[in-house]
Amino acid sequence: MRTLVALAVAVSLVAAPAAAQQSHLVVVSGLSGEARYADAFHEWAVTLISAAQERWGVPESNIAFLAERTERDPERIDARSTRENIETTLETLAVRAGAEDHVFIVLIGHGSTSDGESKFNLPGPDMTATDFARLLDAFPTQTICFVNAASASGEFVPALSGGRRAIITATKTRLERNETVFAAFFVEAYAGDGADVDKDQRVSVLEAFSYASREVARAYEDDGKLLTEHALLDDDGDGEGTEEPDPQSTSDGRLAMTLFLAGPGEPVLAAETSSDPRLAALYGEKRDLEQQIAELRRQKDVLDPEAYDQRLEELLVELALVTREIREIEEAQQ
Amino acid sequence: MRPAVRSGLALLMMLAASSLCAGHPLAQAQERLEAAEAALRTGRYDEAIDIFSDLAQREPASARAARGRSRAYWAVGRYADAERAAQRYIAANAGSSELWNTLGEVLYRRGKRDEAAEAFERALAGRAGDALIARLNLAILRYDRGERAEALREFDGFIDVYNRGRRLSSEELTAVGTAVAYLGAEEWQLYRDALRAYDEAIAADPGNLEPRVRVGELFLDKYNSPDAAQSFRDVLAVNPNHARALLGMARRMRFDGEPGAFDMARRALEVNPDLVSARVFLAELLLELEEHDRAAEEAERALEVNSASLEALSVLAAIRYLQGDAGGFEAARRRVLELNPQYAELYTRLAELSARNRLYFEAAEFARQAVELDHTSWRGYALLGINQLRTGRIAEGTRNLEIGFEGDPFDIWTKNTLDLLDTFTEYDEVRGERFVIAVDGKESELLSLYFADLAEEAYDRLSELYGFRASTPIRIEVYRSHADFSVRTVGLVGMAALGVSFGPVIAMDSPSAREIGGFNWGSTLWHELAHTFHMGITDHRVPRWFSEGLAVYEERRARPGWGDDVSPGYLTAYLQDRLLPVAELNNGFMRPAYPEQLIFSYYEASLVCEFIEQQAGPRALVDMLLAYKNGMSTPEVFRTVLNTDVDDFGGQFFEYMDERFAVPLSAMRPDREMPHGRAPTREEIAEWAESDPGDFTAQLAYGHILFEDERHEEAAVYLERAKALFPEYAGAGSPYWYLALIYKERGLPRRAADELTTLTSIDERDYQANLELAEVLEALGDRAGAAAALERAIYIYPYDIAFHARLAELYSQTGEHDRAIRERQAVLSLAPVDRANALFELARAYYEADDMTLARRTVLRALEIAPGFEEAQGLLLEIRARNSGGTG
Repeated sequence: MRTLVALAVAVSLVAAPAAAQQSHLVVVSGLSGEARYADAFHEWAVTLISAAQERWGVPESNIAFLAERTERDPERIDARSTRENIETTLETLAVRAGAEDHVFIVLIGHGSTSDGESKFNLPGPDMTATDFARLLDAFPTQTICFVNAASASGEFVPALSGGRRAIITATKTRLERNETVFAAFFVEAYAGDGADVDKDQRVSVLEAFSYASREVARAYEDDGKLLTEHALLDDDGDGEGTEEPDPQSTSDGRLAMTLFLAGPGEPVLAAETSSDPRLAALYGEKRDLEQQIAELRRQKDVLDPEAYDQRLEELLVELALVTREIREIEEAQQ
Repeated sequence: MRPAVRSGLALLMMLAASSLCAGHPLAQAQERLEAAEAALRTGRYDEAIDIFSDLAQREPASARAARGRSRAYWAVGRYADAERAAQRYIAANAGSSELWNTLGEVLYRRGKRDEAAEAFERALAGRAGDALIARLNLAILRYDRGERAEALREFDGFIDVYNRGRRLSSEELTAVGTAVAYLGAEEWQLYRDALRAYDEAIAADPGNLEPRVRVGELFLDKYNSPDAAQSFRDVLAVNPNHARALLGMARRMRFDGEPGAFDMARRALEVNPDLVSARVFLAELLLELEEHDRAAEEAERALEVNSASLEALSVLAAIRYLQGDAGGFEAARRRVLELNPQYAELYTRLAELSARNRLYFEAAEFARQAVELDHTSWRGYALLGINQLRTGRIAEGTRNLEIGFEGDPFDIWTKNTLDLLDTFTEYDEVRGERFVIAVDGKESELLSLYFADLAEEAYDRLSELYGFRASTPIRIEVYRSHADFSVRTVGLVGMAALGVSFGPVIAMDSPSAREIGGFNWGSTLWHELAHTFHMGITDHRVPRWFSEGLAVYEERRARPGWGDDVSPGYLTAYLQDRLLPVAELNNGFMRPAYPEQLIFSYYEASLVCEFIEQQAGPRALVDMLLAYKNGMSTPEVFRTVLNTDVDDFGGQFFEYMDERFAVPLSAMRPDREMPHGRAPTREEIAEWAESDPGDFTAQLAYGHILFEDERHEEAAVYLERAKALFPEYAGAGSPYWYLALIYKERGLPRRAADELTTLTSIDERDYQANLELAEVLEALGDRAGAAAALERAIYIYPYDIAFHARLAELYSQTGEHDRAIRERQAVLSLAPVDRANALFELARAYYEADDMTLARRTVLRALEIAPGFEEAQGLLLEIRARNSGGTG
């Protein structure tokens, strides 16, 4: 049976062209326990996958969905979310993924602890943070975004932390054992509007995390409940997550702000280039203006407010004009 | 000689031994004495009186019998007999000082203070067995005369008595406890010592109920009602006829806001009709019910027993004050101060009773006089502080509360209020010309967008209606926590749970303090502001029923759907004669006979006001307010303004209700036999619905069942029937809601809209119905109607970002740019993650409103966050083009 299952999973992950950097998405929906959780987990998983495909252009072949019951949605679910199948999926992906590819692994479900170890609950034997850490070692060159949206997930951060890895957990320790809602808002960040804070038409992992964290807090406050989940992000490899990562002021967030769910050929990193000399010049001008604006913002506290606003406006107007010109040329070229 | 002495001694011993044998007259007397004392202790007073009287006759030298007889008479209020019993003993036993203290106690309770003092001194001089008690009584008498310093010195001496180590009796330990309790006013830690002394008194003689009663009274004075209740229960378990314990329970019930205090006090008076404290307590309760004449009767009765009762005179002073009888008030006040020039409790009582009658300025003034008279009147400081807070003097009020709390840290109300005041640092005060709105900083930006406008609208409207302008500024405190709001209403009886008006200060729950649909903050604010006007017009002399009725009526006039609605419960109560006659409506607020009666009274009172306006014109309501201001009673107001007797009017009002609610009344089935101990089955409901098409509840319930079964077409039949039987019903499970869903499903959006429009025009709290209506109307192209529905929903729950964005968009489309701006500001105030977008949308709203300055400023803020935000960049260029007169 193991061989057959592995084959089925492998078939669904068709090799992508080697040249373009790609995103791979593995969504694992774990043991639910009750119908309402099963429904919620499935809805979140499917929403994320649909957004990844339809909105962000991740090819279906780059997406794997493992869930508790395959019969619930046989069209979408690739395999049962057993330990064995998860291992096979990730091992296969490790072989298949390009050296520079981005790998997103999202766990949706319940977590627990035993013997001081955090676990993700699965049909059959659970998997610990150590188990996942071992599997991630098979991705030495890829950039990983690992999201454990389950309860009691905090210990996944120190276990999985490393270079080129953004680790996100829904809770800050294994002691936050109540059911979490982080997954709902993390998924909403990709599926809806409202997370693209810098308006670059993309949602970075940092933006998704920040959005989800804030909306989780809002949800608890609206319901008049104490906040019992505090999400963490760690992407500087120090094994310590941050609740409010900010590339300007904390050590976490810099990698996450450059990670996007994107299709092959999509600019995964923010880089506008062109062989057209006019466009190339305009892109250069745009980058230069963006840097001047960033520099001006860093000086905001020490400048006269009116002078600051005046200079800001000048730069923004220039940027707007340059951007308009770029768009006109790009449209003309299409 | 020796043999004779020996034989004499032997004879004496034989005699002593034989007296202890049963049947011996001495032994019999002893037994009967013990039986009498047991009867007295357990409340069999008549039996005790009979036995003691017989014993006193047979043994005129028995101090125990005489004392017991006097106390038994005293327990049932036969004070003259009690006095005579003690006098008789003293006359027959000139060499004994044993009954002087008992006599003194009776004299003191009859107001014969000088004679009482002399009696106590005789007991002391004669070294009576209860000399220590006499010493205490003398000190108390001196304290009550205002000889405070001397009295406190005497009380202090009891600490030495205790510390000397002499074995004290239970009565003596009780006396020590009482003395130390008096000292507690100077040093609050001594209350604990008082408690200890009482506990030792109980241990020394568990059958002595007096220390238990005093423990209960002490606990209650120190705001510990559970332990007070337990103490009184312990006493009543032994003696169910203990008048002071019954009164203690009554006071405890009032303290906890429990119903039944009145009846419990009456029970105390059934045992002892001359218990002055009980009469005073009843007078206070009647004052709260605004029954001044009956309150005065009780106070006068008390004074007939004891014309020097400071508490009875004080409450009489309060009654006269509230009646507007300046002469009577001054006479009572003067008499109190003649008897005790330092009696600050006069003023604390005046303050408390004034506050309970909503005279907060006056309460503060009386409390100020209390603390001027007695710097250790911690209750005075607390009352001063609380009432200053109620009248907007926050800083002063805080200071006085702090002083009060330092002197009496047992005052939980003061503590809670001080804790609440500590949180004021987190509140923002939005100041306008007429209002200061204090809102938690977390939501001030959002709520200030709506509160100020609504308050101003209400002020203008109410000014116009009443021809009166309430004093300003009016302070509005909006509490995120219902517990904090509750602290503001502490000690006030019959208050609604959502908001309170003290006149110049209004306190209310924030919409975030409740679940969605829990209340409508807009109508609540309007209601409370109406109270401010009513209190202002009448100098706070409007009875509760009329003020509440008018305030609910004002809600109804403010917006369709605002104000309480008629319910099946209300109509059933009417059919079952459980609604109050108009003349007694105040009781529905002050001491509701059953839990729902309070809510029903609000609605009933509002209908009364509506009916008055219908019959006598709108001016009649204003004239009634002015008549109340002039001190008229309700019957007088009805006679003078409406030219009718209040009872006759009540009859007409019920005829009006019969006519107005004829159809739904006929559809109620108050006599339906419900299954015992379980809910009716589906089959039973179906049978009722089929067999009785005129039964509203059955039609509605069966309609629900069919709807849940997804048999919508059938459901619609029953729901339409229910709607026709009770068209004003829009509460839980309303047919309007379900019919709207059914019609929507059928592809009949206009009919769905009609159902929802009716529903939301009746029910002020249905958030979902307003959202649903907005959706349906928008789909029908009626953007203005959709916006109006969402605008209504703001007054229920204003915290949803998507809601405000949607409303902003609608206002933008309908050209209501100011409101579009407001809604975009609301979005921003809710701290959306995508702040850049929120700023951009606000900038766009300013742009559409032609405010280029703000549009520019706001779009810069958006682009500052996200310089690459292309839509915002485009807007910036457009703004610049508009400013320069070009087209970009």
